[in-house]
Amino acid sequence: MREIVVKHRKALVLILVLIAISPIFGVILAGIVGYHEPLDIAAEMLGLNETTEEINWTPFLDYSVPGLPPELGYIASGLLGAFVVLLLGYLVIKLMK
Amino acid sequence: MHIPDGYLDIYTCLVTYIIAVVIGTLSFRNLKGLSEEKKVLIPVLAAAIFVAQMLNWPIPGGTSLHLVGGALAAMLLGPWGGNVVLMLVLLVQALVFHDGGITTLGANILNMGIVAVFTGWLVYKYVRNKKLASFLAGWLSITLAGIVCGIELGLSSQFLYGLSITVPVMGGWHAVLGVIEGVITMGVYTYLSARYPSLVSG
Repeated sequence: MREIVVKHRKALVLILVLIAISPIFGVILAGIVGYHEPLDIAAEMLGLNETTEEINWTPFLDYSVPGLPPELGYIASGLLGAFVVLLLGYLVIKLMK
Repeated sequence: MHIPDGYLDIYTCLVTYIIAVVIGTLSFRNLKGLSEEKKVLIPVLAAAIFVAQMLNWPIPGGTSLHLVGGALAAMLLGPWGGNVVLMLVLLVQALVFHDGGITTLGANILNMGIVAVFTGWLVYKYVRNKKLASFLAGWLSITLAGIVCGIELGLSSQFLYGLSITVPVMGGWHAVLGVIEGVITMGVYTYLSARYPSLVSG
């Protein structure tokens, strides 16, 4: 893990900066423009129903954290997700050795 | 382009899971061929792409998207490493944030972790002007991933005309929005090749 931190310090700092500004894009501007993807359009045309909310296992649905305002929840989700991804990636390269 | 639970029928879920598992196994095997420098890049790049996917592109009044990063990962790590990076991202998104379903995880890996990654890699490898290649890799990776996503949705539909709706809608929109992925991919590539040429070589 140390090797990663030492070698890619700049990239890790960039990741933290992106997490810090992520609510501007993922919460505030997404709300203003009414973010929807082509997938949502196609699903609507076919009348598909998602079961995400009926069958859900995580408190962090939609990158939110219960009890936190959406902007802060998004940042906390970014930190949590980036950390878990880093850790899993680290395990993958460890297992390969 | 993360397909949620409920959109795909069981056959499409099964077939896409099988493809994802087979390619994923091959990817892990082929990781051994990567240099130490590239291996260490896997966790960092995966975390960066995870975060970059949280930055939605604000397009007023219209249909939007966010980065996928499959082409970028393939250009830096090759198709197998790129596949592993996207699998890590998609797994955490599905399990921790329910962004993309669990029944549809195979399909999401197929679209973003296989189609986007291998398309990006092939374009980057075979187009001679590398700056242009990086743009085309990003753009085509999203367009094709969108089309394949449309095929999965269309095949899952109970209507015969499903495909004739989903493929043009998904392909058309992603061909337009994919330009942004192309520009971002080219920007990151240009920066990295100037500052860290060893990262983008082969």
